[in-house]
Amino acid sequence: MSGVMWRPRGTRVSAGGARVGPRPGEVIDRAKPFSFSWEGASYRAFEGDTIASALVASGVRVISRSFKYHRPRGIMTASYHDPGCTVQVDDEPNVRGAHRRVLPGMVVNSQNSWPSLRLDIFAANQVVAPFIGAGFYYKTFIKPQRLWPYYEKVLQRFAAGGRVDSESAHARYDKRYAHPEVLVAGGGPAGIAAALAAAEAGARVMLVEEEYELGGHLRWGGQEELDLLRQLRDAVAGQEGIEVLTNSAVTGRYDDNWIAVVQRNNPHVVERLIKARAKSLVVAPGLIERPYVFEGNDLPGVMLSTAARRLVNLYAVKPGMRAVVFTANDEGLAAADDLQSVGVDVVRVVDARSGGRLVRARGGRVLSAVDLGDGSSVECDLLVTAVGWTAPTLLTNMAGDRPIYAEHAARFVPGLNLPPNVLVTGGIAGDGSPDQLVAHGRATGTLAAATSGHGSPLELPALEPADHPSLFRSSTHGFVDFTEDISSKDIFAAAKEGYDSVELVKRYTTATMGQAQGKLETLNTVAVLAAATGRTIEETGTTVWRPPHVPISLGALAGRILEPVRYSPMQPWHESHRARPIVAGLWIRPEHYGDAAGEVRNVRENVGIIDVTPLGKLDLRGPDVPRLLNFLYVNKWSKLDIGAVRYGVMCNEDGVVLDDGVTGHLGPDRYFMSTTSSGAAAVYEWIEDWLQTAFLDWQVHVTPVTSAYASMNVAGPKSRELLSRVVSDVDLSPEAFAYMNVRTGTIAGIPECLMWRIGFTGELSFEIHVPAGYGLEVWEALMDEGRDLGVGAFGLEAQRIMRLEKGHFIVGQDTDAVTQAYRAGLDWLVKLDKDDFVGKPELVWESQREGASRLVGLQPIDPNVVPPEASQIVSGASKIEGRITSSRYSPTLGRSICLGIVSGHLVAPGTVVTIQLPDGALVAAKVMEHHAHFDHEGTRLRG
Amino acid sequence: MKGRAGNGHGPPVQRYSALSLVRHGLTKGDWPKVWRTHELERSYDVVVIGAGVHGLATAYYLAANHGARRVAVVDKGYVGGGGSGRNTAIVRSNYLTPEGVRFYDRSVRLYQSLAADLNFNIMFAQRGHLTLAHNDGSIRTMRWRAEVNKLEGIDSEVIGPDEIKKLVPFMDTSAHTRYPILGALYHPPGGIVRHDAVNWGYARAADALGVQIHQNTEVLGISVKSGRVTGVTTSQGEISAPTVINCTAGWASLIADMAGVSLPIITHPLQAAVTEPVKMFLEAVVVSGSLHVYVSQTDRGELVFGASTDPYASYSMRGSLEFTEELASHVLELIPSIAKMRVLRQWSGLCDITPDFSPVMGVTPVDGFLVDVGWGTYGFKAGPAAGEAMAELAATGKTPALIAAFDLARFPEGRLVGERGAAAVGH
Amino acid sequence: MILINCPNCGPRNSAEFAYFGETKPRPDANETDLAEWSHYLYMKRNPAGWTSEHWYHREGCRKFLVAERHTVTNEIRSTGTPGAGHGG
Repeated sequence: MSGVMWRPRGTRVSAGGARVGPRPGEVIDRAKPFSFSWEGASYRAFEGDTIASALVASGVRVISRSFKYHRPRGIMTASYHDPGCTVQVDDEPNVRGAHRRVLPGMVVNSQNSWPSLRLDIFAANQVVAPFIGAGFYYKTFIKPQRLWPYYEKVLQRFAAGGRVDSESAHARYDKRYAHPEVLVAGGGPAGIAAALAAAEAGARVMLVEEEYELGGHLRWGGQEELDLLRQLRDAVAGQEGIEVLTNSAVTGRYDDNWIAVVQRNNPHVVERLIKARAKSLVVAPGLIERPYVFEGNDLPGVMLSTAARRLVNLYAVKPGMRAVVFTANDEGLAAADDLQSVGVDVVRVVDARSGGRLVRARGGRVLSAVDLGDGSSVECDLLVTAVGWTAPTLLTNMAGDRPIYAEHAARFVPGLNLPPNVLVTGGIAGDGSPDQLVAHGRATGTLAAATSGHGSPLELPALEPADHPSLFRSSTHGFVDFTEDISSKDIFAAAKEGYDSVELVKRYTTATMGQAQGKLETLNTVAVLAAATGRTIEETGTTVWRPPHVPISLGALAGRILEPVRYSPMQPWHESHRARPIVAGLWIRPEHYGDAAGEVRNVRENVGIIDVTPLGKLDLRGPDVPRLLNFLYVNKWSKLDIGAVRYGVMCNEDGVVLDDGVTGHLGPDRYFMSTTSSGAAAVYEWIEDWLQTAFLDWQVHVTPVTSAYASMNVAGPKSRELLSRVVSDVDLSPEAFAYMNVRTGTIAGIPECLMWRIGFTGELSFEIHVPAGYGLEVWEALMDEGRDLGVGAFGLEAQRIMRLEKGHFIVGQDTDAVTQAYRAGLDWLVKLDKDDFVGKPELVWESQREGASRLVGLQPIDPNVVPPEASQIVSGASKIEGRITSSRYSPTLGRSICLGIVSGHLVAPGTVVTIQLPDGALVAAKVMEHHAHFDHEGTRLRG
Repeated sequence: MKGRAGNGHGPPVQRYSALSLVRHGLTKGDWPKVWRTHELERSYDVVVIGAGVHGLATAYYLAANHGARRVAVVDKGYVGGGGSGRNTAIVRSNYLTPEGVRFYDRSVRLYQSLAADLNFNIMFAQRGHLTLAHNDGSIRTMRWRAEVNKLEGIDSEVIGPDEIKKLVPFMDTSAHTRYPILGALYHPPGGIVRHDAVNWGYARAADALGVQIHQNTEVLGISVKSGRVTGVTTSQGEISAPTVINCTAGWASLIADMAGVSLPIITHPLQAAVTEPVKMFLEAVVVSGSLHVYVSQTDRGELVFGASTDPYASYSMRGSLEFTEELASHVLELIPSIAKMRVLRQWSGLCDITPDFSPVMGVTPVDGFLVDVGWGTYGFKAGPAAGEAMAELAATGKTPALIAAFDLARFPEGRLVGERGAAAVGH
Repeated sequence: MILINCPNCGPRNSAEFAYFGETKPRPDANETDLAEWSHYLYMKRNPAGWTSEHWYHREGCRKFLVAERHTVTNEIRSTGTPGAGHGG
């Protein structure tokens, strides 16, 4: 019987400490001891220990408190998904303590208990357990409804899981692409053999193993297994062409063998996502041991046979003093042998194959006794169960395979529906001796290599799942899902209530939805449900496994967060002149340089320059360009002289405005199109779509040149004067270079620049496009030359003000996803007598509809009120008649000006409409005759 | 909710309540079945195709509001197994168009009293909903939504970075990020709900009123004679019915094809993911249109994420790695300190996308064949209002004003209801 | 990550491509009526099976391709350069 002593922080300990003498296969390095902190106290460990093995070696039995009932939990599987060993390490929550290696100085704490692991107030939940079975919250907290937020806070206190810290330092994550010819998921004997065989055949192999070293279950085996293990490890080390990733896992197999691997063994990166396009995937994850369902099956001291063997053989830890072993297979017997070999008193070995039965386990905080089927009770502090296995079929499921239930083996196995580039080997395929697993693995490896054209495939030897008794639940009820605190009683109750299909019972009870991701729970859930509904397991089916196979951090999935930014070549000038940046799609542009209103005044009185490099630019060449322009734009393009420029609007096939810009005829078969900056990429693809899928015979070649040119608009009454100081080979006089024309020439010594006389701002202006590498040079030259003319830069805000003064609409701001051309006020532009053009049928119908809403110019009656954009235009109590789409205070006019969409019955010029401001105030505004509020005739820009 | 006789052992407790929980705990009695199973009958007055929230709500309101007695809901799988069981359960009414806002507001109001109406705790938590704006175009859209919302009497307002930081202390609201947060549309009535509970609550309540729910009953054909629907062929047998309602998502085109009706729908997968649980740190639901991501934290402590639909049409629900990669990078741009949280599970459902991001509801060219489809990525929050309206249409033959703008005929008539600015993250 | 066999560049990750939707024949815009045009604009085949669709190799050769893909399994059985007659 175990003696008990009290430790300072109150976790119980078995007498004598639990570390034993050296084991042949141990992974700890006794020459490297160190200390770490657990629950505020100092504990010892060796290099190679996991957090849990170090704790168990020090006699700690209770490592966590369960989710709902806050029951004390200890080590159960001693593997990654051990439900009793989830702990907080520094600022990292939900660390899998039975897998994570402990490091010197590590600070480890339990999660989910308050005020401490030992004295957990929420353990009181156990008292009310009969009333808080699975799904209890659906049946209560219904009234009064206004109290739900408070009820919710109560429920939230139960939330399991660790803590995140808003001050967490940013760790380093990274990603990598890989192109292995053979990717082997699982480094047990079969997986290693497959990797070796494939590499020997000449294939490029990646071998991924979840544990810190290769070997799978060979690692905790007997001498024969350890000898084979050494052989295999040596062979891998000596074989070229195998990249080995330990402490790593394949998390998913996606379309066309796109495989995600989370790598944790790179010393420079906390966790790394590797995206591998593998020619062949070999799935060799082995088998996961299944817990038995019985009363008391979660008591600290109850564990699986593989847990006992791992603790004894890998970590040289005695899991208890006095043990009972309940087994249905030979692995359980091997566990009993291992325990005896380190001095555990194995008082009973109960073999289910000869009629032995386990009824329940009993204890207070930890195991103290076991009741057996023959009526006897045995006092013990360790109960080891070995009742069967689960095949982790996630990867094969993701490849399109449905698992089938092999009743004789008491587990699901992969079906027969795998694509040729996915193979299975090892425990997941069948059972065998280590040599048989190796033989099957080798043959599978040759098959995988042959898919990439390496070597010739061997015939696969037989590897079938062995017979195994069906043992899922004893005659008592116990936990099925340890991470969610769901018992078989809950499943019975849910099924009785009608949640009787496997998906419904999963959702209702939340079984399989916890942190073990279903690996320990799924088969037991299905078996219990089958029993509860009087069906076979086959009839009941199984839930769909969902990726990732093991949890992967957000950091690894994100990698280095790369968000490219686009700047124009003039950016250094903007930065040194106090430009305020604004995000415009992928670009960063100057919004203003400190005084937008001042910039407007300067443009209207002197001359200003704005950087418009993001403007979309397309070089169009070929004899069929006019046909293309006629087809894409709503107006006519057949007769555009060389040197002339025209404004155009493009619509979608539903007549909705898509983009606008100007296009110029530069030379024979040579045109230059500009688009909005936000539409640049889309218009290019729009054009290519038509040319490549509809008009294959048209001779048009399109080159996107948006970033090939730095673009600037030189605007203002003195713009011609300024430009003439840097341009000598083009006649800039109004007679030679009229409004809406384009010329090519040399600016500030840079040849092949384009100059357009167009005007978004409403002033005399020239839009110049300079080969991008010279953009800054030309910009600075203009700034230099124009000093005495009062030249100044102006930004996006000033431009917006001026374009609004001139009534130019902005696609996507003054129009939206349903604004067709007429509604945008483009009656004057649309030429319905053209042949087929994009949007024509819709625009014909639109032109025939009366009373539709339209975009109009508006001016608030009070010239100092500037309604925020998107303010609604209303009538009556709260009927919406439209909205303000653009709104600014105009320095030029000394009053507020707007564009807005209004209902058809309000569009007549002079109509007074009501605008509701965001603060609720109502202001009146008048509908104007034109969109332009200033110089409607355009005299200033035609000068 | 009307009572019915218990059919389990022990005391016949019908209503759910804390008291009945205690009684069951003490007596260890069984609860009655949440809904009954029936043999498929030969004829019904109404056949609803799809046992998700839309179908179940329609059937429930047909029985509860209109006294319909011979209603069957058929589904090829289990109750709530489609989109209704795969969504991220966000409920809100901060839409863009007046028609949209009115509709979703009706749904929010129904959600507010649904637990009591159905006697089933649906766990509707109105935690507050934030739609972040990262550029001025976005702020304009947020203001547009706020103004329309306010005019319809719904609580929405545009707030600035400081107020956002108070609501979500973990959010990076500094001006130095790649896409600085300029403001947000704050909608206090928005929140999250337990989607399975809504499905089960409606199913239980409908069943109590005599609606028959037939799981594992796949519709294989729809019979139409002289432009009228006459019945449905299922995997469990034929049914005749003068009214058949298509309440499916992901399969809407296939079902409509059976009746010879074309729909303006493309089906795209929409993925979601959930992390391991951590202690509560996020109250509000946070959405970013520019960063294509939304996130909330459940009562269990898990973060639930969603993003845009997959960029190509597909009926695959297998999920992709690209989804979680993009999602993770965008979430960390908003909340950088949670990089160590791990994704536990990802899944996807199917969304039927329409050209204007508004649903298709009402009559079709085939008499008696009604549709409640095209719900894109915003179907779950609409369930109650949609069910109520479709029930009224099916029972009275008149299309309720609330859904009149969503008719199928709007497409040829150019009356699109453009909700693209408010439907969800960028499409 | 679906692998798409670009006729010019060979097998590439689908993330390099932009999806342009099901191919559909375009009615003669001069002869069409509201019903036919609306059908062209808005109605979709949306099959759960083989479909013909356009992809654009945005981050590659910038050429369009026509693919035959099964929308349930995402298997692509053919890719080719578009021929005349497909609507945009």
